[in-house]
Amino acid sequence: MLARVCLRIGSVAAFLLLWHVATTWGWVSGVFLPSPAEVVAQAIALIRDGELWSSILVSSGRVFAGFALAGVVAVPLGIVMAVWWPAKAIVDPFISLLRPLPSITWIPLTILWLGIGEEQKVAIVFLGSWIYILVYTLAAVTRVDPVLVRAARNLGAGDVAVMTQVILPAALPGIISGLKITLAISWSCVLSAELVAAQSGLGALIWQGKDWGNLALVLVGMVCISITVLVTDAIVARLERILLPWERHRR
Amino acid sequence: MGAASALSTPILAAEHVTKLYPVGRRAPVAAVRDLSMEVAEGEFVCLLGASGCGKTTMLNMFAGFVQPTKGRVLLQGSPITRIEPRCGMVFQSYALFPWKTVQGNVEFGLKMQGVSAAERRRRAKWFIELVHLQGFERHYPAELSGGMQQRVSLARVLAADPVVLLMDEPFAALDAMTRQAMQEELLRIQEASRKTVVFITHSIDEALILADRIAVMSARPGRVKTVLKNTLPRPRHVSVQLSTEYAALKAEVWGLVEEEVQGHIEATVTRAGG
Repeated sequence: MLARVCLRIGSVAAFLLLWHVATTWGWVSGVFLPSPAEVVAQAIALIRDGELWSSILVSSGRVFAGFALAGVVAVPLGIVMAVWWPAKAIVDPFISLLRPLPSITWIPLTILWLGIGEEQKVAIVFLGSWIYILVYTLAAVTRVDPVLVRAARNLGAGDVAVMTQVILPAALPGIISGLKITLAISWSCVLSAELVAAQSGLGALIWQGKDWGNLALVLVGMVCISITVLVTDAIVARLERILLPWERHRR
Repeated sequence: MGAASALSTPILAAEHVTKLYPVGRRAPVAAVRDLSMEVAEGEFVCLLGASGCGKTTMLNMFAGFVQPTKGRVLLQGSPITRIEPRCGMVFQSYALFPWKTVQGNVEFGLKMQGVSAAERRRRAKWFIELVHLQGFERHYPAELSGGMQQRVSLARVLAADPVVLLMDEPFAALDAMTRQAMQEELLRIQEASRKTVVFITHSIDEALILADRIAVMSARPGRVKTVLKNTLPRPRHVSVQLSTEYAALKAEVWGLVEEEVQGHIEATVTRAGG
């Protein structure tokens, strides 16, 4: 256990050292890669003037809005599709057609329809996320063990009780893990939207760095994206443990 | 069929029941054909047969999970046409709700009946104690052993107070020692509550230990071949297996079952060869 922790820290330290040596001893030109010290200095400057926080907040807000909207639409739709076959028959062809489209392919249309403001960013996140939430929800509800439904009906449960007391809680772990996976996808959607047309957010920060030839800024933006997504994941994992206390005992 | 059932309406009855299942484009297969049987109130009946003899299909018809193709299934004289909460089922796979605690599982049937929370708690406590699980009320099923989970499942069904208890090979997934302990518990609970039980098993020993009557089933199509009265004394204990009477009965049942098993093996061999 200790050996593993040491190796993890060691590998990161070795990487940083190599990076430092390569950039300060001139193995790699500063035009292509700034030194770690420059990146840290850039990060401190951005934190000082508040731009880093505002970028993180702006991007997070767009992710949250688009993701929440997608969840509100797709989770109920997925449940209905799983329990009522005509709904599935109606929606299925659209899923097949829309699923292969990466969210960036929606950028031209959404700009035309919504401009380059907040609505367009939220729309990109929504369009890139809802199908995944739908597919995961559909699978989770379809997979509910029919014996549990039988047992509930045998104990006197009606349709409403079967839905609220059996199908929903049985499908919840699958729905939540689908949401978790989709959240990471939502983040990549917002960044691609911000790279193309935005004045604010982490994606825009990276693009500014590129336009100004400030590679340290680009790297700060990239590291921030990683950390923000990791923190979101940790928060969701904690939420999952609170919402699904019984899952802790599985195997 | 039995002497007791001749006197009053049987609590549970199958009248010339046939159940066909479609098999692709070929002719449908009969899981059960022209099966008639009766169960008297307070009686413990075992359906004994090899796998594939239609005994689970018959039990599922008693529960109303499936409907007979021909014939009728009657509970207290009226036909069972949909899932029947008065026939409580104990599943081989326990079928506990993993997101509910032991307490929550045992309370489920009462909740469906609209029993108040305080009353539910009181009754659940009683049944949890009946199956010796006090102290585990707040545990989730995944934290319990197989034997304990099956006891929760038994308490859950008993708490809902069904008229008939249907048990589908409930102890088949347990190890031999746990199974014996569970058989003993079931004997104790059934003798105290006088619940009517229809119990499916492929174990001759289990049938002899538990049942008042044993319906030996024949396979393909499923039929009741013979009904034996189990003359072993009550109250019964698993140690009844050591008596000479038990050995004689077991030899008799084995004789009946052996023909079936032999026939089944021959049929399989012929089919495989042809």
